[in-house]
This record gives sequence, structure tokens and C-alpha cells, in this order.
Amino acid sequence: MLTMIRAIVRPEKADKVLAALMEAGYPAVTKYSVAGRGKQRGIKIGEVTYDELPKVMLMSVINPSDKDFFIDTVMNTARSSGKGAFGDGKIFVSDVEESYTISSGVKETDYVKEGVTP
Amino acid sequence: MKEVIAIVRINMMNQTKQALTDCGVDAFFAHEAQGRGVGFVSPAVLEGTVQGYEEAAALLGEKGKLYPKRMITAVVEDSMVGCVVETIINTNQTGMPGDGKVFVLPLSDAVRVRTGETGVKSIS
Repeated sequence: MLTMIRAIVRPEKADKVLAALMEAGYPAVTKYSVAGRGKQRGIKIGEVTYDELPKVMLMSVINPSDKDFFIDTVMNTARSSGKGAFGDGKIFVSDVEESYTISSGVKETDYVKEGVTP
Repeated sequence: MKEVIAIVRINMMNQTKQALTDCGVDAFFAHEAQGRGVGFVSPAVLEGTVQGYEEAAALLGEKGKLYPKRMITAVVEDSMVGCVVETIINTNQTGMPGDGKVFVLPLSDAVRVRTGETGVKSIS
């Protein structure tokens, strides 16, 4: 069983997070743009309320044993300076039952059982 | 039910759509994504980099560059997973790095908004 991490971060922080992940040894990441709001119901500037704020979703599938380190890396780089601010994003973790590399057709979940990193 | 997430090359989308339809999966959604993988790294090049050869380091190339891809998400019955994964791999395989990945995730429930049907009924 592998673990999928989906992190929603500020668009301006995405490059910093990607660089940090590369440094930490996680080159494989997929990034896509999303729009959404949190429990603050968007942001109100003057009279105008923006309830769909642009964010970036970073998705990566990793070994379950690396989960905490990966989350720490994302969290420390994606957080706004100081104590953080509303809108810094969320990190979700889910299980992946099977994972395949298309170019080689290798099923990576088989390797994990033997303790080899994909 | 399982959620199959596949990341494929943009120019393979039409073939993949056709192949999935032939396989019996009519419903899926796709969106644009950018990504990077582990890339093409041969053990000889890595060894060269460790020993400090500049040519080897250059061969490793631009690390961290994001390539445009398509991400396909399909929700299928348990019995279909094998067929879908096989179809996606056979259609997209060129043998070069960058062909993409296929992930299979468990999914607890699905609802069809139009009728309110839940479970397997909502996706068949």
C-alpha cells in the first residue's frame, strides 16, 4: 500500500514547495490549478466577497513511512511567515491500493512489500 | 468501487479515450496537470556524478522542470480495475520516461446527482 498526499497551497508558494520537495528527495510531483474556499467563506475586500480563491494542488504518491517527513516539508515551506495565515492551505492523505509506471509497466506496490522504495 | 487516476501524455488523450470506451468505461473526467517524475537516471550516470564528473552532472539535466500532462480520473467497479489499468498501460506505453503513472484508490461511495442513486448503481 502506498500513500497519496494532496496538498492545496497558495499559488505563489508552489515553486518554493516544489524546490523543497526536490531537495528532500521527492522529485515526482503532479501540480494542477484549483479554485476553492475554506471555512472563512472566502475573502471579503471592501464590499466585494471572493468565494473562489485560486490555489494550486500538489499531488504525490510516496511510501507510507515517508509520510510524516513529506508533510513536514510541505507544511514548513507553504506556511506564511510567522504563525501562518488563513488561506495557507490543507494537506490530505489517502491510501493508494495499486500504482503502475506506464513506461515500464511495473507495479510498484509489489516492491513496497519487499521494502524497496519505488 | 475504485478510483483510477492516470497521468498520461497530452498527445495520447484521443487514443486513451477511444481505448477506454472500447474497454467499457464511458464516464471519466480529465483535467490539465503539470508534473515531474523521477526522470531517466541510469546507474552509470549517478555513479559518475558521485565521483565528481561534470559531464555526468550535466546529463542529469534540468531537475524540477514541470511537463504538461493530462490527468484522467475514472470511477469503476472492482471487477473492471484490472482491465482499465491494462488498457491505459497498453495504450500509453512507449517505453520512454514520461509515459505517466496509474494509481488505484479505494472509494467508499458515489451518488448520481440526477436520481440520487448510490453505490455501484450510480456508475453503471
